[in-house]
Amino acid sequence: MNAEFQYTLQAYLDGELSVSEAREVETTLAADAEASALLAELRHTGDLLAGYEAEIKLPEAREFYWSKIQREIQRQEAAGQADSVPRTWWSRLWLPSGVIAAVVAAGLLGAIEMGWLARGGRSPQIETFLADSGAMTYRDEIERTTVVWLSYPGENQFADTSAVDTIE
Amino acid sequence: MCLALGVFLVTGLGAQVQADEIKLEAQLIWGTNDEKSPDPKHKPVDPKVAKKLKKLPFKWQYYFEVNRQQFSVPQGETKKIVLSKDCEIKVRNAGNHSVELNIFGKGECIGKISQALPKDELLVTGGNAANFTSWFVVLHQPD
Repeated sequence: MNAEFQYTLQAYLDGELSVSEAREVETTLAADAEASALLAELRHTGDLLAGYEAEIKLPEAREFYWSKIQREIQRQEAAGQADSVPRTWWSRLWLPSGVIAAVVAAGLLGAIEMGWLARGGRSPQIETFLADSGAMTYRDEIERTTVVWLSYPGENQFADTSAVDTIE
Repeated sequence: MCLALGVFLVTGLGAQVQADEIKLEAQLIWGTNDEKSPDPKHKPVDPKVAKKLKKLPFKWQYYFEVNRQQFSVPQGETKKIVLSKDCEIKVRNAGNHSVELNIFGKGECIGKISQALPKDELLVTGGNAANFTSWFVVLHQPD
């Protein structure tokens, strides 16, 4: 039994072969004990992996976890596109302009002073004074809400500080 | 260059007037899955804040207001607000619509958070409380 047939056997097990290819494999299996034993072993290994796959608990809501990955992919794609954009003649003309740069800088300073630009970049700076400093933050851009979750129990002697089901 | 200076002066001076003082509202809130609070002094959180809290990934369905206070903090100054016998906060106006929030539990500082807090922005600090409930301190600029 060569390596090629072993791959074919795995493909057969995964249901990736056409009807005619599958029939061909079944014919070989009927005549080849070694191939039948390998198929049984592959099937057994697959069942074991499926049955004992570790369940991973996320420290945050599933939607939030995946949205972070999506945002990071979009950010990287946008960064890649920005890098690949060639400089046009007008950008070469405008970019060195000191006057424009000064106007933009002044506008930005004004906007910062007015708090307009404070709407972006809302990562809070957190300092905790607890023995267990497991503070978590959560940001909802749509609701414009930042949550800082501290490990401090509301009432020391009664609170269930070990509760892990706080967040859905 | 004159134009740049003009823009800077106009926006800068305008901002100075607004940035001097920040008006804030702090609420101590109790989160629970019980429809009614055992404490008759508690009242449901105002709908605007409740709506935002319910959209967060918390398991609680009901939020009750334990205490609410409005106050103003001049730029660069700090104000202490007592929200309950165990919970108090100190808020410093750090300028540019930013605040530094110090939270105290039973007299001990448990956390310090620096955050931009323009209008419509909500800063929620919280933690677990007894019987699978929660406490929250919500800080925002009132309407």
